[in-house]
Amino acid sequence: MRVLVVEDDTLLATGLASLLARASHMVFSARTGAEAEAVIQRDALDLVVLDIGLPDDDGFQILRRLRARNSPISVLVLTARDAVEDRVHGLDLGADDYLTKPFSVNEFEARVRALLRRSERVGTRLTAGGLTMDVAAKRVRVHDRAIDVTPREWALLELFLARPGRVLSKEQIAESLFTLDEQLSPNAIEVHVSRLRTKIGPAGVHIRTVRGFGYLLESKDE
Amino acid sequence: MSRGGARSPSIRQGLLLYLCGCLLLVIICVAAVTYAVALRAANDAYDRSLLDPAIDIADNVRIEAAGARVDLPQKALEALVYDQSDSIIYQVRMADGQLVSGVDDLPPPPAMAAGAHRFFDAMYRGQKIRVAGMRTANGTVVQVGETLHKRHQLVGEILAAELLTTLVIGAGSVALAWVGIARGLRPLEQLRAEILQRSIRDLRPLPAGGAPAEIAPVVRAFNELLAQLGAANTLQQRFMANAAHQLRTPLSGLQMHLEILLRRPLDDEVRAEIDLLHIATVRASRLATQLLALAKAETVPGSDRSLEIIDLRDLGGAAARDWVPRALQADIDLGFSLEPAVVLGDRTLLPEALNNLIDNALRYTPRGGSVTVRTGCIDAVPYLSVEDTGPGIPAPERDSVLERFYRVAGTPGEGSGLGLAIVKEVVDRHAGELEIDSVAVVCGTCVRISFPSQVSETS
Repeated sequence: MRVLVVEDDTLLATGLASLLARASHMVFSARTGAEAEAVIQRDALDLVVLDIGLPDDDGFQILRRLRARNSPISVLVLTARDAVEDRVHGLDLGADDYLTKPFSVNEFEARVRALLRRSERVGTRLTAGGLTMDVAAKRVRVHDRAIDVTPREWALLELFLARPGRVLSKEQIAESLFTLDEQLSPNAIEVHVSRLRTKIGPAGVHIRTVRGFGYLLESKDE
Repeated sequence: MSRGGARSPSIRQGLLLYLCGCLLLVIICVAAVTYAVALRAANDAYDRSLLDPAIDIADNVRIEAAGARVDLPQKALEALVYDQSDSIIYQVRMADGQLVSGVDDLPPPPAMAAGAHRFFDAMYRGQKIRVAGMRTANGTVVQVGETLHKRHQLVGEILAAELLTTLVIGAGSVALAWVGIARGLRPLEQLRAEILQRSIRDLRPLPAGGAPAEIAPVVRAFNELLAQLGAANTLQQRFMANAAHQLRTPLSGLQMHLEILLRRPLDDEVRAEIDLLHIATVRASRLATQLLALAKAETVPGSDRSLEIIDLRDLGGAAARDWVPRALQADIDLGFSLEPAVVLGDRTLLPEALNNLIDNALRYTPRGGSVTVRTGCIDAVPYLSVEDTGPGIPAPERDSVLERFYRVAGTPGEGSGLGLAIVKEVVDRHAGELEIDSVAVVCGTCVRISFPSQVSETS
């Protein structure tokens, strides 16, 4: 995969580059908005790791121009934890995910993996642990054994697999599944989740309950 | 004006003291003038009655061959020189100085023309006396003197009446001045109250409208000082925020490289050293983040720029996304109970407070424990609370933990002691209330923030 790291701090930039290189990605580096722009124009990228705190507000500019061109490149925004506005603004502008500084290496790698998998999935398949979801063939496999899922469970699983490691609130889930027919009650969601949990459990994938809030998909490979 | 302690000069006392001094001077002058006038009046009144016996005696002086004598019976003479309150003496001398009648030790009178009379003061046997003297056509000199008792009495009475009036007027003026000065100083009193009730962060200018001409310049000067203070404060906060921000980026880089290094096959001793370095780095960058948060929370607001209607429930939801992964890593059950709770708050600071509460709770709760974030309203009072099953905070230390860099003795972990100080700062900025409770929960700590009710504002 081809990843661009836009970061003006040398220490962080080299760290990020070495992590990505170690994960067998092709890494491009840029320190300024102009440099980043040049790389984006020249090379076909899969992911941009973008420091929002660049001088001259360049981070937001890059993001804005990228989305203005309807570019499908995934963007992982790096922000400072205190800069809540940056985070919200970044997501509004079309960032796919954000990571607050300082972050651990594990956290970074997990986010990158998730984003790349997402960009990889178009028309193909989603995976987590021993679970494979073939979107085109409408088929779910645990290891190599196909399992049956209901349309609701399918939608639910798709929702989770698209955002591994992210917490989904019950409201969010209800909203996403709303199109199927009537509004789902929190209890109904619970029932669907618990059925799905039993079905995909053998794949080493677990749907954790966040008490009073929602769910989170965890898989052994992360 | 001053509240006990060191005595400071008071405008009211100063003015009154000045007024009293002036009054005293006036009273002294009035008394002196009154005394002179009264004495003159007394002399005018009594001199006449002193001259009458002198004339009577002079009329009755007979000059015979045997010598001169006063041709009056002893009784009549005594009646002439009798007075109820004063003792009267007289003396009759011939032109050649020979004593005819009366006492012989009266001092000689001043020079008088024949047929003329005079009133004058003299000393007689060590006593002051008033004398009426006259010289007849044939040169006989008659003097009648009397002590000054009734004159003094009259002067005293006039003086007393006059002084009493003056004193009543004086006391009246002082009382009126007392009230008047208090009235005049009322704007100053109001200004003082206004300044006293200010919170230390409130650097808004004092209202200058309506201040009297004498106080307006003080208000202006004070406002200028406030503005300068605000500017200095902002500069300091900005510096702190900048410094913390600048520190954080290299610390992030350092942390990342250490983590990359730790993935390599390393000698056990080296690994242990790098582990320590890593822990220190994480701690330092957390400290930088918290200093930044504190600087932000402390920043003097130019206006209510950042206050918006915020549902605490949404903050809880955002916190769930940020903190659940970390809680899972620490094997702590992070749960939520989120009910709508609308407050007027700062969109940057409130998450800061909540983040610090959750961070603290996760930090001090042992593996397998649970942390619960709650939002909602109790009796229309919106609240936000974070409850954990950690060791709890001993009651005597609950106030201290809100102080900066304070850490409960014997607590494990690498806390900076800034977390709750930040929370306190944010709560203060929202006029909220912070409660730390380790009793209501079975064990552990519950930190609850109550916010001013927004019911009236939103509906």
